[in-house]
Amino acid sequence: MSNSTIADRIPLTGADCMLRAFDWEVQRYHSSSHVSQLVLRLAPGLDVHRLREVIAQTAVDTPILRAAIRRRWKVGRPVYDMRGLRPEPPLRVHAGGAESAWDACPPAVFTAALNEKFHGTRGELLRFDLIRYDDGACDLAMSWLHMLLDGTGSELFVRALADVAAGSRELVGLDVGSDSDDADLSFRARGDRARQWQAFQRGLADHLPGSPGGPLRRVRQDLHYRVTTLSVEDTARIAAIAVQKAGFLTPVMYYMAAAVRAHHRMMVQRGAVPASYVIPLPVNTRRRGEEGAIFRTHVSMLWFQVLPRQVEDFDELLAELKRQRLEMIRGGLVESGACAIEFARYLPAGVFGRMVRRTFAGELCSFFFAFTGSFLGDAEEFLGVPIRNGFHVPAVPPSPGSCAAMSVFKGRLNLTHVYQKGAVSELEAESFAAAMREELG
Amino acid sequence: MEWTRQTLEDRIFEILRDDILSVDDGFDVESDLIAAGLESMAVTQLMLAIEESIGVWVDESLLTPENLASARALAACVHEQLDHR
Repeated sequence: MSNSTIADRIPLTGADCMLRAFDWEVQRYHSSSHVSQLVLRLAPGLDVHRLREVIAQTAVDTPILRAAIRRRWKVGRPVYDMRGLRPEPPLRVHAGGAESAWDACPPAVFTAALNEKFHGTRGELLRFDLIRYDDGACDLAMSWLHMLLDGTGSELFVRALADVAAGSRELVGLDVGSDSDDADLSFRARGDRARQWQAFQRGLADHLPGSPGGPLRRVRQDLHYRVTTLSVEDTARIAAIAVQKAGFLTPVMYYMAAAVRAHHRMMVQRGAVPASYVIPLPVNTRRRGEEGAIFRTHVSMLWFQVLPRQVEDFDELLAELKRQRLEMIRGGLVESGACAIEFARYLPAGVFGRMVRRTFAGELCSFFFAFTGSFLGDAEEFLGVPIRNGFHVPAVPPSPGSCAAMSVFKGRLNLTHVYQKGAVSELEAESFAAAMREELG
Repeated sequence: MEWTRQTLEDRIFEILRDDILSVDDGFDVESDLIAAGLESMAVTQLMLAIEESIGVWVDESLLTPENLASARALAACVHEQLDHR
């Protein structure tokens, strides 16, 4: 959608409103915001002035980046209000000293950015933090209120910034995507589908899920993360096993099985094995032909559930997850989930999250999981500087308090474990990384 | 219905063109399916559509890059599976 056709108000998608519900919860119970992050580790040579210029240019031409999220009279669909735009997203530059042993311990400014408050109602949606090391190398973190961009959108946005800087993309306003409201269905049909999803969700509650963070409670959000980067050889070997065991186009199920087992090991170690593990898997719902949609989130969820006895054997677990995936797609649960999420647009901000937590006795799920495949399409450079590594740091609320995210950059698998300090101890985080590595094979 | 290789190819092509992929007039039975946007969700929907329409479940082990290279290649694979029933 070009700038000329961007309306004064752009409604949030249903998925945005679901994330807004999580943001409401994180603000109310955890004094923070529901924030995602993307990190680029860059070789020496970044022109910081040019980066600042590109961000400013893009923000001028793409007003959604500076729009306040508003809801008139607290009813109706929340919108990005393009009138009375706020300042451009800030780029904060920090001195990093000598390059640290980064992989085990991300820079404090990045974890701080992940736990900062973003006031969406004041148009605070996106921030950049740049750390410059003595040798000229840089780490760049882009942190944003999750409802602005999903994982795919964040990569598209970074690539768009790079293209704008290189002059290969005209500044005409970046694509905000369509509404994803399924206009082909009547309100009643959508209601029926949403009820089907709700019934499915209630069925999961027969075996209540447990998470490392436990049920919702008041605690300050204090997210940390660890990144484990595998060698090209190990990544290729694991990818071959994943394809062989889970299928050529669905290796994600293999990585998910590994994450379930690594979490199970943590809970066994604690002596706190729950009745079940419930894991939501985001599904990209961009309409075909609309793959360029950068802003707003375009996802539905598949909700998996496995009992502890189904986790004991890797191959049996994988077979069960594959069976559930097929049955959910066959049963139309991707579409039903999308319809249920659409109703979040019309509900007060926190209701969607509260409904799920009421069903699961205070839990949201057992952990978040994402496998996004190739990161940034293996882009070589950002603003003319070679990219050494890059990965996602997804948002996760203090309950469930744990998220395993994986992506591959230039043939190397990055495993990011995001966790709430206190919900997962440092020792557990260390054991979890080792367990993941072992489970992947 | 007796499925020949040609009728299978026609049906699978129709499913792909009309229900699964968003393609233009240049899409034909030899077009690369992955390049045309066949990803994990779409391939599962395709398998379900083939099961409903043709009555055969394509075994997951057959979903290789070679068999998903085109509608023609996939039809040949499904035909072979029908032959072995």
